Amino acid sequence: MEPLIIRGTENSPEVRLDATSNRFIITGKSRPENADKFYAPLISWIERFEPILSGRKQDSDGNPIPVFKFKLEYFNSTSAKHIAEIIIILKDFVEKGYKVKIEWHSAKFDDDMLDTGKEFSNMVDLKFDFIEY
Amino acid sequence: MTYISAAFEAHQLMSEKRSLMSFTGHFDHLAITLLLTNIKSKLSAIEITTGMDKRVYSVLVECIENVCKHSFHGNEKENIATLLLSKSETKYTIVTGNHIMNDEIPALKEKLETVAKLSPVELKQMYRVQILSKPTNDNNAGLGIIDIAIKSGNKIKYEFKKLTKNTSFYLLQTEISIKK
Repeated sequence: MEPLIIRGTENSPEVRLDATSNRFIITGKSRPENADKFYAPLISWIERFEPILSGRKQDSDGNPIPVFKFKLEYFNSTSAKHIAEIIIILKDFVEKGYKVKIEWHSAKFDDDMLDTGKEFSNMVDLKFDFIEY
Repeated sequence: MTYISAAFEAHQLMSEKRSLMSFTGHFDHLAITLLLTNIKSKLSAIEITTGMDKRVYSVLVECIENVCKHSFHGNEKENIATLLLSKSETKYTIVTGNHIMNDEIPALKEKLETVAKLSPVELKQMYRVQILSKPTNDNNAGLGIIDIAIKSGNKIKYEFKKLTKNTSFYLLQTEISIKK
C-alpha cells in the first residue's frame, strides 16, 4: 500500500501514513483553507488500510501494532470534526478486533490540547496513550 | 475627517484599549496567516509557562473564521472586516466585526443565543453532538461558536448594527480570563 505523505505548512499538518514502515502520524498545525479537501485523502487512506489490518489479524503475532500518533500543536474546529472522523474509524477497527493504538501528544502546559484528547477518548470510548512533549 | 486625523484617532483609541493587535481590512487566507503568525509569537513571548498563549490563539482563530464564514462579500467597503485583540491585567478581549446579510442574522442569532444559555457542561455535550454529526451544507455547524464559548470560559457578547435594508455590521466579543 502506497504511503500517504503530506508536507506540513504554516496552516496544515505534516502527515505520514505508511503501512510498510508502520508509521502513522499527523503533526503540526491544522487550519487548512479547506479542511474537507485536506482530510479527504487521509480518511480514504485509513479506510483502505483496513484490509491490510484484517490480513495482519490472521497472522500470528509478530506484526507491530499500528500506533496512530496525533501530535498537533493546534487545530481549528473544522479540523476537529475530521480528526474525530479519523478516530471513529480507528475505534471501528478496534471493535472489529484489529490491534490499533492511539497516541495523543500535547505540549507541556498545553492543558487544552490534553483535555481535547481526553474528550475525544471519552467521546468514542477508546483508550488513548497520552504523551507530553 | 482627514486621513491623518483618522489614523491618529485610531491610534489613540487602540492604545487606550491596550490593543495587542488591531487589523481592519480584507480577511483573506494570506492576510490572516501573516496576522496569526505574528500574534502567535507575541502571545508566546507574553505567556511563557501558562499555556494561555495557545488558548488565546485558538479562540482568536475561531473568531477570525467566524468572520470569514459570515462575511457578506459586497462592494469594496463591505469586504472590510475588523479584528481587535487587547490584554488587561485580568483578561484578553477579542472583538471582530464584519458585514453580514440581514437574512443570515436570525439563524446566527439563534445559535448565539443557544450557546449563551448553556452551562460549561452543556456546552461540552453540545460540542460532542456537533462534532459527531454528519457534515451538512453548513460545514461547520456552529462548532466554532461552541468552541469559542468553551475555551474562553466566558459568555460571548454580540451585536448586529443595521446598516442598510439588506446588510448589518456583526460584532462579536469574547473574553478569556487570565489564569492566576
